[in-house]
Amino acid sequence: MNECVLVVDDDREIVKAIALLLGKEGYQVLKAYDGMEALDILAQQPVRLIIMDVMMPRLDGLSAMMKIRERKNLPIIVLSAKTEETDKVLGLSMGADDYVSKPFNPAELAARVRSQLRRYTLLGDINAWHDGDEIWNGRLCYRLREHTLYADGEPVKLTATETKIVDLFMRNRGRVFPAEEIYQRVWEEPSFAPENTVMVHIRHIREKIELNPREPEYLKVVWGIGYKMEKIKTDH
Amino acid sequence: MDTKWKKSKQIISFGCFFLGVTLLLCNLGQVFRLWSYGQGALGRVDYQESAEFRSYMADRLEELLGIATGGKGWRYYGTSDRGAYRSYGIGDAYSWDYDGETLDRWLNEGTAVQEAVPEGIPSVAQEYGWDSAESQETLWERYPEAYSEYWNRPQNKKEYMAELAQNKNVRYAVIWQGKLIYTNIEAWEDRLKESWEDADFYKDLDPEEYNFTLWYNRAGDGKVQIVKDNVEEEIYGNGMYTDDSLWFVPGYANFNVDASAKDAVIFLAAAKEPRLYITGNYSEYGTSQYGGRLYYLQQGLRDRDRSFRVHCGFMAAGVVLLAVSFFCRKEKRKADQAIAALLGKIWLELKLLLLVLLPVLIFLMAGREELREMLYLLWYDGYPGDVIYFLGQVAGKGLFLCSCFWLVYLLVLDLRLNRGKQKKPLFDSLRTRDLQYPVQKRMVRRYWLILASVISVLVLAVLLLILVIWLDNQFDYYGSFYTLFAMTAAVLLAVILLAVCVAVGVGSLGKNRRLAEDIGALSDQITAVRGGNLTKPLVLPKDADLAQAAESLNEIQRGLEEALREQMHSERMKVELVTNVSHDIKTPLTSIISYVELLKQEEALPEHVREFVQILWEKSLRLKTIVQDVFDVSKAAAGQLPVNMEELDLGRLLRQVLADMDSQIASSGLGMKTAVSEEPLFIRADGQRLYRVFQNLLQNALKYSLAGSRIYLTMTMEGVMAAVYLKNTSGTELETGKDFAERFVRGDSSRTDGGSGLGLSIAKSFTEACGGSFRVETDADLFTVVVAFPMSAK
Repeated sequence: MNECVLVVDDDREIVKAIALLLGKEGYQVLKAYDGMEALDILAQQPVRLIIMDVMMPRLDGLSAMMKIRERKNLPIIVLSAKTEETDKVLGLSMGADDYVSKPFNPAELAARVRSQLRRYTLLGDINAWHDGDEIWNGRLCYRLREHTLYADGEPVKLTATETKIVDLFMRNRGRVFPAEEIYQRVWEEPSFAPENTVMVHIRHIREKIELNPREPEYLKVVWGIGYKMEKIKTDH
Repeated sequence: MDTKWKKSKQIISFGCFFLGVTLLLCNLGQVFRLWSYGQGALGRVDYQESAEFRSYMADRLEELLGIATGGKGWRYYGTSDRGAYRSYGIGDAYSWDYDGETLDRWLNEGTAVQEAVPEGIPSVAQEYGWDSAESQETLWERYPEAYSEYWNRPQNKKEYMAELAQNKNVRYAVIWQGKLIYTNIEAWEDRLKESWEDADFYKDLDPEEYNFTLWYNRAGDGKVQIVKDNVEEEIYGNGMYTDDSLWFVPGYANFNVDASAKDAVIFLAAAKEPRLYITGNYSEYGTSQYGGRLYYLQQGLRDRDRSFRVHCGFMAAGVVLLAVSFFCRKEKRKADQAIAALLGKIWLELKLLLLVLLPVLIFLMAGREELREMLYLLWYDGYPGDVIYFLGQVAGKGLFLCSCFWLVYLLVLDLRLNRGKQKKPLFDSLRTRDLQYPVQKRMVRRYWLILASVISVLVLAVLLLILVIWLDNQFDYYGSFYTLFAMTAAVLLAVILLAVCVAVGVGSLGKNRRLAEDIGALSDQITAVRGGNLTKPLVLPKDADLAQAAESLNEIQRGLEEALREQMHSERMKVELVTNVSHDIKTPLTSIISYVELLKQEEALPEHVREFVQILWEKSLRLKTIVQDVFDVSKAAAGQLPVNMEELDLGRLLRQVLADMDSQIASSGLGMKTAVSEEPLFIRADGQRLYRVFQNLLQNALKYSLAGSRIYLTMTMEGVMAAVYLKNTSGTELETGKDFAERFVRGDSSRTDGGSGLGLSIAKSFTEACGGSFRVETDADLFTVVVAFPMSAK
């Protein structure tokens, strides 16, 4: 392993903490404290992933990201204390692969780093895998024949009912299913208080596929209507 | 002292101007009129120069010719000089003369007619109830029998001639076929019937006394020869008689006499100074006057001359005074300004009224005599021409002229010097005064005004009716002009007052109508302000009754808008502050969480340290929640919370939330009683925000409920609203009167675990951001939250 991760933040303690955390995970960590430094290091070292703060002196995160994107294609996770939706959208649209708001959960950050690296390295040649019977959705891939869900290329262990639910959602990404319908289609019997049953299963699936099950990206509740699998672009 | 002198100089200069103009104008008309008569004015007082005299002499000649030739003409001329019309003495011989003095004499003495009535008439007239005030013409019309009797009775020529002889102002001698037959020249009276043979009668008269002689047919040529003051007068001109010819006597080429008249020779001499010849004939009917016509002619001319001189004198004085005022024109101008300043203080209405009324009053005053005469004439049988004639007479009067001049003068002064400095019209000042009262007082005042005007109109109308009926009766019989005049004026006054009352009443009503409209506008505006219109002010006319109220409302509106703007501004500032602060908190918090995580991963830590680390971990996570909550709630309060509104089933949402929190509920040890119908109940809201609302409410309930108690979640329809009730029994005593939705308020102030203290506050602000209503009710330990949304039409 020993993949090289560049952490950029003007807050030295945060850089140090992230470096320690990622070091424990087995990554080689490079440190930079502003955008210019980050560009310098990038020019010299073989960096595989960048974790970068937005607000920095000399050269801010978004500008640095645009400069990096001109030459390199590598995952960038943006860190920011700004949590407004618009900030997230702006960051992602300007080339960030992921967005983590401060204060973050260290474990979650580590999971996101892992996820990004896997997608860029292990799944680098996704098309080679592809034989037409799989459904891609972001970092998820469902193989129809195998009845198996892969997250970041790794198979997810699901129970039979969970697999049925995932099957329904992966086939109908973006569509909202009321609890009754999910119940009828999965359990194949009339529903009785389906909300709780469905919710329990969904919570379980989330814990297996979401990086942060408290703030799910894939399996979402549409409040007052039903549940859905968010349709997410797979960038390959 | 100096200023006093200046002031008196001003007064003197203006006084001079005033007197000068008045004298000039008052006398100008008279002077012009007298001058236009010619005779008498400008010192020409010789009555023999007048047309009246010439006409008189010509008549006499014709009369005597008639008597000489035995004709009947003398009867009809009726010029027996025993008491002539005095009025004939002056002016146009055969028209009325209204020169004041003569007219007055004529009217007051009433003698002219009496004396003019031929002999014999009085007895007949008395028999018929004759009225001495009536004219001869009228007499003739009224008593034709008496007149025909008079004219047809055989008249003694001798008697007549005896009367004629009494008039010594005119001396005559009548010669018929060479014999003297009549004369009143004393020297010849005993030579009557003698042959005449071209005797000169004149030599027997005093040439100083009789300076005028007229011969007819003296040379046997049928012509007239006149000598005045020993100078023979040119009579015939070019020999043809025309209108312009001075003498109406035979001898013109187109004025011949018959053959018998050729046998007559007439001598006439006129006195230089005519006198009255009075005979006391007491045995018959008192005194008789003779020669009055010429006498009064002369006297009239003298009078005229005198008055002409007096008027001229006055005019001259006026001119002198004007000249004086011209020399002190500076002072006069100052006096003008002082007068203008006085005028400026008069209300416009009063001025207009005076401008209309004064000329009428002056006209009536100046022409009271003429108007009386005119009315008198009209009363019997008048013509429109008479009216115009009388009006013209009055208009030409000095008093009227100069009054009009002063009126115009004052008007010009006022217009010229008071431009822009005019006193406000009475109407305006009343209006301004009215505006000083509060609106309710104004309305009450107006009410009384309307009432008063209605009553006045009624009273005046009744009065007017009575007056008109009375006046109508007055016209039916012979009434006094003054009474008639006064009553007509009273009717006019009543009509004017009536109009004023009606105007006041209608005006007040109109004001109240406008007030009603303004009240409508004001009430609409209040509704609009309540509805959130804070920008468009209510504009009422400045003099509207509610202008003040509208202005107050506008101020309230402005104040509200200002306050709202300020509040929004401060909320925005707060959000900015919170954003900045939360950002500044988040950065160190990141480090704290990260290092606590690193600590947690340390394996070589003793157990109690591990416990400490766990506490640090929990508290830092709680801090993280608080920061986020503070951020959210401040955004919602500032109205900057983005919401994604969509149709959703409120019941389903509640079930989803319950399912989501299932494990928490289960582990709380509290009972959950739900009454949420399966029937879809659609509302419009942001699902994500609403989830937070109910999640917070449930967490709140779970946290603060009495152990072992139950939480009740009910959803009901209340009219068009879908309401969710969440009731729980509080574990601790609830303080009454506490706003639990207020930020950082907790049911139990001492509790510090979990939550940010913002749960209910967030729930409330999120609900309201989604267009719902949020209410907290407490009843003893029962804590109820009501969240209501309007249902969708679907």
